[in-house]
Amino acid sequence: MSLTDLMTMAKPNLETRDKILSKLKGRELVNCFQCLKCTSGCTALKLLELKPHEIMKLVNLGFVDELPSSDIIWTCVTCLKCVQRCPQKASPYHLIIALRNLAVEKEAKVPETYMKIVSSILETGLAEPPQKIVTKKMEAVDRERLKLPKIRPPKESFQTCFMKAMEEK
Amino acid sequence: MKVAVFWGCCIQANQYAYEMSVRETFPLLNIELVDLSEVICCGDPVKSVNDFAANFLAVRVLALANQTGLNDLLVPCNRCHFTLSEAQENMKNPKIAQKILGLLKEESLDYSPNIKIWHTIDMLHDLVGLEKVKKAVKKPLKDLKVATHVGCQIIRYSDLGRVDDAENPRKLDELIKALGAETVDYAEKLDCCGAALTRSHPDSALSLAGSKLKAVQSLNVGGMVVSCPDCQLMFDAKQKDAGTTVGAKLNVPVVYYTQLLGLAFGVDQNKLGLNLNQSPVDQLLSKISA
Repeated sequence: MSLTDLMTMAKPNLETRDKILSKLKGRELVNCFQCLKCTSGCTALKLLELKPHEIMKLVNLGFVDELPSSDIIWTCVTCLKCVQRCPQKASPYHLIIALRNLAVEKEAKVPETYMKIVSSILETGLAEPPQKIVTKKMEAVDRERLKLPKIRPPKESFQTCFMKAMEEK
Repeated sequence: MKVAVFWGCCIQANQYAYEMSVRETFPLLNIELVDLSEVICCGDPVKSVNDFAANFLAVRVLALANQTGLNDLLVPCNRCHFTLSEAQENMKNPKIAQKILGLLKEESLDYSPNIKIWHTIDMLHDLVGLEKVKKAVKKPLKDLKVATHVGCQIIRYSDLGRVDDAENPRKLDELIKALGAETVDYAEKLDCCGAALTRSHPDSALSLAGSKLKAVQSLNVGGMVVSCPDCQLMFDAKQKDAGTTVGAKLNVPVVYYTQLLGLAFGVDQNKLGLNLNQSPVDQLLSKISA
């Protein structure tokens, strides 16, 4: 088999395709018969032209080298409508998450916020620190002012274990 | 009845009104909330970076819940609820489970698969029950009609076992009716708030929130009721920006269900964090007191 993407002259990369497939246990994209239910209900289609069925087809054919560096994988809103509605129990959502993970692994362009969140979790356990917010009377209040309990940070061993978890691929 | 509670980052970092209103109202229904010994992220934002690490965080939360000795865990945030539910499912895969249990062991934490994960909506609807909620109402919310927004991740995907039906969720509507108010059905009911796009495409996120608010505004209802901190952040705190993005003057009161619940139970407005909502909730409050 020697397919060629005539737009980019790319060749299929079956090794990477298999790696992605192994992450999708139970939601194999080979089941996809291109009915377009995912794309017709996709929240990001109207605004950002995300077409989940195209991503499914590309990966199915093995064209997986360009997707991780493409901005398109970062347009998914994670509304999960595609998973819900797929008649074949495939899942564009889980595929997109696998492609995002691959983008991080390949050090492709990843929206900065995601990496910031990871370092925040590593430092404090939380994705974002507790903030001061403003009441309608323009008064700044925090947890203490609102008599909410203090945040109890994770014990030190958490950091080591989380770092170990981040090394898994 | 005692239940463990995991709030997640968004609620504990800025959506204080949700936390306050849950803490005020649940004890009135004889539910005692037990906080976990530590506060960490559920793993949701980490999924896009490293799915395994996200699962580790979620399972660690479940292990902390296990420490309390209680079998029921309340998770009021939609995204946390989904992440924890999916991690519980993933733990059935021995390969993943083995690695995660190894990491937990290093911290002397024990995971139990028997913890039942609840959201605010199904805990009130299924565990407490509509009749009990009705009985606790002191000031019925007559003359109030609202639109509901249940959010995405507590209703999809059904294979995982979710809080309500994926295409026709009714529980939030039923819970509002139990307080004496009415709800409307509308075409955009299942549309997403866009919160997850804030990290990569903030303008598109606002555009999604704005379009939905525009639709709700045209319904001529008293307001919109949500049950997820991310949705509330988009529709309430960011309502002005969302309006600018879609070119509309938006004026929709947005409240948490638990805030309405508190009002119907006769709890003081400030204790429910109603002074923290940035949308014009006074409009809604004047309808209730009138």
